[in-house]
Amino acid sequence: MLYRTAGQFKTSYKSDQALFPIKQDAFLLGIIGLFVLAIFPLTASEFAFQTMLIPVMIYALAALGLNILTGYAGQLSLGTGAFMGVGAYACYKMVTLMPWMNPLVAILLSGVFSAGVGVLFGIPSLRIKGFYLAIATLAAQFFLVWLFEKWAWLYNYNASGAIQVPNLTVFGGYVTGPQADSIVQYYVVLGIVALMTMLCINLTRGNLGRTWKATRDMDIAAELIGINLMKSKLTAFAISSYIVGVAGALYVFMWKGAAEPNLFDIPLSFQVLFIAIIGGLGSVLGNYLGAILIVGLPVVLNLVPATLGLAISSAMVEHLNIMIVGSLIVFFLIVEPHGLNQLWRLIREKLIIWPFPH
Amino acid sequence: MRQMTKLALAAVVAGVTAGAAIAQELYAPNLAYRTGPFAATGIPLMNGQADYLSMLNARDGGVGGIPVNAEECETGYSTEKGVECYEKTKGKAIVTQPWSTGITLQVLPKTNVDEIPILAPGYGFSPMMDGKTFQWAFNAPSGYWDAADMIVQYLEGKDGDLSGKKIVHLHLDHPYGKEPLPVLEALAAAKGFELLPIPVGLKEMQNQSAQWLQIRRERPDYVIMWGWGAMNAGAITEAVKTKFNMENFIGVWWAGHDADLKLVGAEGKGYKSISWSFPNPDAPVMADIKKHVVDMGKSQSNPEEMSGVFYSRGIVISAILAEGITAAQDHFGTAEINASQLRWGLENINMTEERISELGLDGMVPPFSTSCANHTGNSGGWMLEWDGDKFVKVSDLLTPNTDGYADLVADKAAEYATSNAPWPMNEECSAES
Repeated sequence: MLYRTAGQFKTSYKSDQALFPIKQDAFLLGIIGLFVLAIFPLTASEFAFQTMLIPVMIYALAALGLNILTGYAGQLSLGTGAFMGVGAYACYKMVTLMPWMNPLVAILLSGVFSAGVGVLFGIPSLRIKGFYLAIATLAAQFFLVWLFEKWAWLYNYNASGAIQVPNLTVFGGYVTGPQADSIVQYYVVLGIVALMTMLCINLTRGNLGRTWKATRDMDIAAELIGINLMKSKLTAFAISSYIVGVAGALYVFMWKGAAEPNLFDIPLSFQVLFIAIIGGLGSVLGNYLGAILIVGLPVVLNLVPATLGLAISSAMVEHLNIMIVGSLIVFFLIVEPHGLNQLWRLIREKLIIWPFPH
Repeated sequence: MRQMTKLALAAVVAGVTAGAAIAQELYAPNLAYRTGPFAATGIPLMNGQADYLSMLNARDGGVGGIPVNAEECETGYSTEKGVECYEKTKGKAIVTQPWSTGITLQVLPKTNVDEIPILAPGYGFSPMMDGKTFQWAFNAPSGYWDAADMIVQYLEGKDGDLSGKKIVHLHLDHPYGKEPLPVLEALAAAKGFELLPIPVGLKEMQNQSAQWLQIRRERPDYVIMWGWGAMNAGAITEAVKTKFNMENFIGVWWAGHDADLKLVGAEGKGYKSISWSFPNPDAPVMADIKKHVVDMGKSQSNPEEMSGVFYSRGIVISAILAEGITAAQDHFGTAEINASQLRWGLENINMTEERISELGLDGMVPPFSTSCANHTGNSGGWMLEWDGDKFVKVSDLLTPNTDGYADLVADKAAEYATSNAPWPMNEECSAES
């Protein structure tokens, strides 16, 4: 009833191929847009910006990048954290070597470097598949983190080996560094993440996306119908690493403010991989749902005992939190092994035929 | 239904009055870590800190008559959680205690904007000593560069000339472990010893066989260690296994944890650690803690832990904080101080020998004083040695030769300020300290 699609006729190819051909979907998106564009930023506290809104979007973007590679093109990767690091260090070097550079341009360009590195480490994918490829990308993970530690030029020979984000301005207002307001950073992140998401939706619907899906589903068959596997796999690596690199630059420049090499170590790769898997491989929306569950939920859970007035020590809260989030992950994977995105898809289908299921 | 409304009303009223009642306190949150890979070293420190402040609350009704709320926020030593805790607590906090070099580095640039003092006793970024640049950061009573200098001094005092000797700097491959390198390099050049840094990756902390193989091959005269968490136990057991002479093995203060040495017991005899705190079970403060906190069942600690170096260091840290609060209260004539008043207080700590015994901390911390230009105080410290059962003092008070690296402090502080421009300096503070 609420989600009735009957009667929504499409009379042109253009309207049939619209991003959201169903009216209710567009309406829902409008509500979400209203929230993220106006209601959240106007009501959120500094705490909400720094621990929920900004990180959820950045992690979702990183997971989206990984999803292009793993979910759409079927190439398993464990090197996401390191590729994020490449983006972050590239951005840092660009803004320190060329201080006149617009930081937003630097962030968008930093993805180019990680795309290059990603393609380099993607070359083995032409010969190996599945778990074997995962091991090859794991090598990238170890090698790159080692490089971030040893190559002192990358962190400008800083004695502590960490990078610090300088205060940078765009049109006279601070966007990075400690002087920047959270709300400005929020809108910058929102803009870039929205842009990347649009790009990904369109890419995965188009020719390239179909090539990737064919490669994922059966590469021999794909090759037989004339798909160039090398091109398909390497473009997936390039585009995925580009998005991951931009996410890495945002991660350090728009959120953390400082980073040491081991930040980009394997736990970060796993976290992004979990977001992608729990959200649903081969989906765009799933990345956001996964990021909300993995990044946003623990923060909210941490606040619960204090708001209820329960006197539990903070260490205990942390233990409980780990247990609750862990069991939620298991629960969601049992209920819907294909991720939160699939769960939403089923709910939506049920809504369409409700209240008269056949 | 009416009853429900009544109940709800009562709840609202109770909430409002409770909100008003808690206003009379000093909120000094602690970004503690009782979980995660570093919990073993975190817990005794956190217990010491918490117990000292609960003792003050129970004995004197707090500091200056106002109770201190030392709420803990769990970070698990993770930088991400640490920043979350910082954001959560900064609204009404008068101080932030980040408890990890990583969190300190992230919070440090924000303090000028948020105007909350950082108290990082004995850790963090060594150039924080320069109070003109780092107005809001304090690493009293001693920094890592002091530690490096004191260790070299001690070796010199023991051996005379260090020229031609080989010293290995075994360190965690992390900002923390690299922190003393500039001073050690300068000292190596000045004194003519050979410095060989050997990093231990975060993933190799528990298994250091490669590093100790290298140490065996290099045959150094001394090994100094900047280790933390699982790395200390790993290094000490590996040193025992490779039969390294423990007499020549010296750690920084965070590498002097009783529990790590208890693993090897008598075989660890001779291991040393420089320290600006020392456990004195006979100090009056310990008796007070026992009476007001432990016997009331309010402590999470145990007698074995309480006799250790780390628990007493926690006490000293809280004492430094309380001393800063007292100084601010006296100066501003109000008991309910705010963050910027506490900043003044922490800049004007004067821990003389008399004041230390007045606080009941006899022999637990060397005397020191801070000023607006010097936020470290450079108390110096003692060389502690493991006698097979506990740590004992084996040196008189060593004081760092800060002139040796004053230029380095100024350089690094200026470098930090330029790379984080615009960075406000404390212009009111004159250069002399």
